[in-house]
Amino acid sequence: MGNWERLVWNQRDVLLQGLLVTIEICAIAFAVAIVMGLGLALIRLYVRPLRWIAGFWIEYCRATPIFVQLMWVNYVWPELIGWPTSFYTAGWVALALQSSGYLAETFRAGIENIGRGQREAAAAVGMSPILAFRRIVLPQVLVMIAPTIVTQFTVIVKSSTLVSVITVQDLMFQSQRLVNVWYEPIEILTATAALYILFIFAVSALGKALADRLRLRYGLGT
Amino acid sequence: MFSQNLREMLDLALFWEYRQILLAGLAFNFYVFAVSAVVAVSLGFLAALGRVNPLRPLRWLGAIHVETFRNAPDYVMLVWVHFVLPLLLSQMLGQRITFAPFVSAVIALGLVYSGYLAETFRTGIQAVPKGQIEAARACGMGGALIMRRIILPQAVRMMLPEAMNNFVSLFKATTIVSLITVPDLMYRVSMVTQQEMRPLPLYTGAAITYFLLIWGVAALARAGSERWRRKIWA
Repeated sequence: MGNWERLVWNQRDVLLQGLLVTIEICAIAFAVAIVMGLGLALIRLYVRPLRWIAGFWIEYCRATPIFVQLMWVNYVWPELIGWPTSFYTAGWVALALQSSGYLAETFRAGIENIGRGQREAAAAVGMSPILAFRRIVLPQVLVMIAPTIVTQFTVIVKSSTLVSVITVQDLMFQSQRLVNVWYEPIEILTATAALYILFIFAVSALGKALADRLRLRYGLGT
Repeated sequence: MFSQNLREMLDLALFWEYRQILLAGLAFNFYVFAVSAVVAVSLGFLAALGRVNPLRPLRWLGAIHVETFRNAPDYVMLVWVHFVLPLLLSQMLGQRITFAPFVSAVIALGLVYSGYLAETFRTGIQAVPKGQIEAARACGMGGALIMRRIILPQAVRMMLPEAMNNFVSLFKATTIVSLITVPDLMYRVSMVTQQEMRPLPLYTGAAITYFLLIWGVAALARAGSERWRRKIWA
């Protein structure tokens, strides 16, 4: 038990700091992914000339492994377009890209699921298409796909462990640095793994409960 | 500036020049995938059997297995299996044990994806109507026979699309084994990059290769499993 205290409990500040960076980068990536996913879905559905580009982009994001994408964004983008300029940015950009592809498809399925009649009714009472989308379609879609969005957030958290490879100082990075200082991986890495598992378990349980309540409240009960 | 960079990015001659080394790396992705898929399917099936078992302790065991490995990030699991598990085994057995990177990769990915697959299997198994199982029991079939003749043939068809998704994810996950020095495609790309100092065409080539491969396989798998399902049901 002495080892646990020395290597894990006494290092809790470092580990928690790492966890904070993990949460932060995941939150940024998640927010960007939702906006991008919705944008891509709308383009794919309604902007005819750009439909193919959006479709290709979605397929590319979905079918490329996150690690490959991370390396691609990190090494290729700066030379190609001069951005992102920091590892941190490259990290969340790659995470957001990956998830935006999945979310775009989720949004699209959700939007297509809303009956045409509702949009026509909205038009009949004088709503503009944009207002109808904002007031009628989007809220229903969000409630419908809430569970998938939660799952996608846990995917981001899992993938975020890879940003430590490009020296973003997340939980994984900090724990590996501690291992390199102490040369005693057992306690540190086990604690890190447990922390990640518990964190992701908690996020998905909490998210699922929230999503279920939302759906129940709006009559889409599971 | 931009167009010049773009040309360099799409100039895959360098990628092509190293094709033999890189292809040999891609083969490693397939080895890791194949072996860990076998591990994941076997463990996942056992865990799923545990989760639908009438015995409460077995159900708990199955649930713990699923929740642990499904919620573990691939990379964390990979590092843990490679650096911690051999030490724990050494302490237990009293002799020094180390894992080859390939072995660690297979164990880690096998464990993680057994969690996802167990849930897929369980959903398939539980989708078979209870009445059929009761009817089989009434005819005097035993548990193993019911599983083999009644449940599995239907469950496999039902869970096939989701299992295909799991396998595609598993193949994607094999790209991270380069981080524990399994010489897969990504590993070799980073080696060549260090020599050539030209990451642009190399990483772009890797991204395109993986994209075409995974996209193609995913599309094929989707079409194949759909057709097979339709053929059986109709």
